[in-house]
Amino acid sequence: MDPILTYIIFLPMLTAALLGLTRASLPLLRLGTVLSSLLVFVLVMFVSMDFDPDGGMQFLRIVPWIAHYGITYYVGVDGLSLVLLILIAFLMPLLYLYMWKERRKGYWYNMMMLQTGVTGAVLSLDLILFYLFWETMLLPIFVMIGRYGNGMHQFNAMKIVLMTVLGSMSMLFSILYLGYDLFKQNGWWSFALSDLSMLQLNPQTTIWLAGGFLLAFAIKIPLVGFHTWMAPAYSSAPTPAVVILSAIMAKLGIYGLWRFGYGLFEQTLSYYAPFMMILAIIGLLYYAVHAIMEQNLRRMFAYSSGSHLSLIALGVFLTNVYAWGGSLYFIATHALSSAGIFIMIGLLYKRVKSVTIDELSGIASVAPRFAFFFVFFALSIAGLPGTGGFVAELLIIIGAFKVNVWIGVLTATTMLSSMLYIFWMLQRTIFGPPSMRTQIFVDLNSRELAMLIPIVLLLLITGIVPSLFIPLFEPYVTTALQDLMMTIGAK
Amino acid sequence: MSSLLIWIVLIPFASAALLGFLHLLLPKQRSLHALYTVSGIAAPFISALMSLAVGWELFNSSDDMMIHAIAFNWITLGDLSVNVAFMADRLTAVMLFFITFIGTLIHIYAAGYMKEEEGYGKFFSFFNLFMGSMLLLVLSDNPIMMFVGWELVGLSSYLLIGFYHQESANMKAANKAFILNRVGDFGFIIGLALLFTALEGTGYTFEAIEANITTLDSSLVAVIAMLLFVGAMGKSAQIPLYVWLPDAMAGPTPVSALIHAATMVTAGVYMVARFAFLYNEVPQVGVYIATIGAVSALFAALIASYQSDIKKILAYSTMSQLGYMFIAVGLGAYSSGIFHVFTHAFFKALLFMGAGAVIIALHHEQNIFKMGGLKKKLPLVYVTMFIATLAISGIPPFAGFFSKDAILAAAFASEHYMIWGMGTLTAMLTAFYMFRLLFIVFFAEGKMDGKLNPLPRTMTWPLVVLALGSTTVGFLGLNEAYGGTNIFSSFIALPDLSHHLSHKSEYLLGMLNVLMAVMGMGLAYRLYAKSAEEPQVNNVWRRAVVNKFYIDEIYDTVIVRTLRHLSVFTDKIIDQKGVDGILHVAVSGYKSAGAAFAFLQNGKVRYYALYILSGLSVLSLLLLNALGGM
Repeated sequence: MDPILTYIIFLPMLTAALLGLTRASLPLLRLGTVLSSLLVFVLVMFVSMDFDPDGGMQFLRIVPWIAHYGITYYVGVDGLSLVLLILIAFLMPLLYLYMWKERRKGYWYNMMMLQTGVTGAVLSLDLILFYLFWETMLLPIFVMIGRYGNGMHQFNAMKIVLMTVLGSMSMLFSILYLGYDLFKQNGWWSFALSDLSMLQLNPQTTIWLAGGFLLAFAIKIPLVGFHTWMAPAYSSAPTPAVVILSAIMAKLGIYGLWRFGYGLFEQTLSYYAPFMMILAIIGLLYYAVHAIMEQNLRRMFAYSSGSHLSLIALGVFLTNVYAWGGSLYFIATHALSSAGIFIMIGLLYKRVKSVTIDELSGIASVAPRFAFFFVFFALSIAGLPGTGGFVAELLIIIGAFKVNVWIGVLTATTMLSSMLYIFWMLQRTIFGPPSMRTQIFVDLNSRELAMLIPIVLLLLITGIVPSLFIPLFEPYVTTALQDLMMTIGAK
Repeated sequence: MSSLLIWIVLIPFASAALLGFLHLLLPKQRSLHALYTVSGIAAPFISALMSLAVGWELFNSSDDMMIHAIAFNWITLGDLSVNVAFMADRLTAVMLFFITFIGTLIHIYAAGYMKEEEGYGKFFSFFNLFMGSMLLLVLSDNPIMMFVGWELVGLSSYLLIGFYHQESANMKAANKAFILNRVGDFGFIIGLALLFTALEGTGYTFEAIEANITTLDSSLVAVIAMLLFVGAMGKSAQIPLYVWLPDAMAGPTPVSALIHAATMVTAGVYMVARFAFLYNEVPQVGVYIATIGAVSALFAALIASYQSDIKKILAYSTMSQLGYMFIAVGLGAYSSGIFHVFTHAFFKALLFMGAGAVIIALHHEQNIFKMGGLKKKLPLVYVTMFIATLAISGIPPFAGFFSKDAILAAAFASEHYMIWGMGTLTAMLTAFYMFRLLFIVFFAEGKMDGKLNPLPRTMTWPLVVLALGSTTVGFLGLNEAYGGTNIFSSFIALPDLSHHLSHKSEYLLGMLNVLMAVMGMGLAYRLYAKSAEEPQVNNVWRRAVVNKFYIDEIYDTVIVRTLRHLSVFTDKIIDQKGVDGILHVAVSGYKSAGAAFAFLQNGKVRYYALYILSGLSVLSLLLLNALGGM
């Protein structure tokens, strides 16, 4: 009964509450935020050092919450959630560093709330608790876009809220139905994942229930057809929120698919799998084509993100060790690359007040360091060997070939899809003669380097020595797949 | 001995990282030039020394000796276990030798060529990155690591073609190179994935694959062999993926010499030779490869004969010579193919470096019709380029004769007369376009007034070394018919498919080749030796050839524009009219989508958000209560 996960979840929110109630001054607020995020990082490092890859769900903590309905505060970590946990703890301090000059206090409070929301969602093992955190992370995003965003920010904030709430509601309905059904069958209430996954339901119902979850996750990822909130939200949101949207929240959609999709509905997912795979493959190519003509860098990389998340989603439905391992690895490495590129776009905006490709050119001539980092992150998104993305894509491609040659060929188009937009974009923004706007361009300062270098190093290490990381989650993937095969085989 | 292999690869990478770091740290410091030069040249030089040691060790052992070195485990997941591991057999030793030897020479040459450039440190960083990647490619003991090297040489090529990045045209060329290479790699990775799944976990090193190759279905092997060759088409600029190579000449000339002539573009040939065991299983694929090679060779030679940019002529010539190499490896004459890779590296690097010297001397003039009469003014460049031209044209006893002769003999002996015919015709064209270049630049009356730029010694003496090489290395492949023992092919010990050819026919073929070369040479002399005017583009045929048969334009219209239109379509029609349209209707339940937005803007969503907020607050309070009371 180790409370360490609870600290990790609530430390940012408590810091925010404490600082808010005492009406802390800006420097104090800044210091408090950074310290709390560093403390969280240290705690997460402790967790990952004590973590036993073969030990299944660990650091469990179960506290009755709304006892009458069997709702508990139930958290724990396994190989799947550990990857996301480390990622969040690693990225948040860097984002706070990015925000260093930010004077609007609400901005800081929202970011801390967001950190608690996403961390909680990753660690929750009770569905009501998960739902609570799932919604908790939406509100700060709504405020960040609606209040601190740019462009048509209020309208775009509503669009994302409306669409994600549509998903959340359908998921909530499924959760409540599952709980009620458990009560009907057994006479006691529970919303714990471990209890609900034991439920025997009639196949017709599970198709609807699984659909409720899938809708929520499909919108969050987003899969093609559920994506029109994405580009507006990315283009209006302030940079830290964009990074969280793309690097963390979109990944939570995938996480949900894994944890709750496969946790609750193994059978039914194989019913949905062909449709989802088709959507994912379409998404992989559709978003990439969409990105080609985008003039706004944020929108371009929103579509880029959509394309790669479709690939990750595809890997999840390809149920074998390579595809799952690759998808899980891609969650981490793509988060790093996309965090990197969106931070670079943010820094670009700070300097030239524009993210429109036509207005930018020749940055490499005036700011070589900026150009280096920008090109590095862009190429890491294109899956350059030596960066983690290459390893992940390779694994997913191999996994796809294990399933079916044609799916394999379609999956391998990921080698081509990102090139469609990345290289042309680089040619027009970073290279060429300097434009009016970029003639005076301050190169990166030491604070900015301090927040970018860790991401670059981690991307290189994940690409050069993946064997350092894969053993962390390999047992999870193997056992989860064995369980899956047994369940499907048994019925 | 085995740890040497790791260092051979590691040192250039380490130097690249160091130079890149320093360049980013102090971008405008000229005082670091000496350090850049020393570190930049030392890295390939040390690798060259170590490669010699490795080669010597292999030379003194039996011909199936291999040196292994495992650096660390790269990945282990399921049946997939890949190490960052290196392997050197005799094929590797040959590749290592000329890559590091010629690489070092070109690095020295580059120190002179690039000395005025602002991005001097960056240049050497990229150049060393290329060396490391290329060495990784040839030393890797498994196809995955080979693919990593394969992609990284593509990256360095991209960075170096776009070295003068202020010119958008150069970046366009760089993009084109990377993208077409990736199209090839798309085939390559599919081939590798198919191979891996077919092997079902019996190991994924070259040796393990070789041991299990016979267990695979031969039609599957044929598909895999084809797909791997698609990768080679991209990297080695064969039809239809060749269009990047001429444009790649936008990079600095040392880059063209090292990457786009001597080493990287031959990676495709090396790959086929490395997979010789696999290609021997499916000779019908080999014939297809040889045909592509022959067509590419002829096609490129034809275009080269009409070009007026000195580097583009050499680029098409490279593509043409690569075609020869693919004829060889396609027909199972692997050692002849690699032998041509080897000799070609010498004389083509020399040609490019000579061209670079001319370009520098003439203040960056690249049009041969604006040159002329340089024989007296640049005697050393003239003599060395003359030697290289004789070598590439296949005049004995220069290097190109022996390697090209071996390839054409193999085509003839294996009774692929069509391929042989195209190869022989190409031989004539080769002599024609090369002597055309030589005569126009050095013989025809000069059109340049004014002083020439002086050439630093670092740029001239590497030419002499390579000229010596171009004269002598051919004798390594002297076969029985000419009184030798073919040291090269018995050293490299590749599983050649052999066909017998009588000495008499060998002599006849050899004589025919020399005759073709002399004819080409004579024609060039008649047309261009005295005076040369830039030809008028006055008929359909000329216009078609000068415009390279409009292949670029066709690619642009069919692929690039279609994709761009499609992209606009996805945004303007599918997303805005389709998906959002449905959504608006679904959300509002009203008749018009406009009303949906009116509903949004009424601010009811804010109420909804407020509702979630209050719900969440109550739940959170309960949660706090629960956590507090535990």
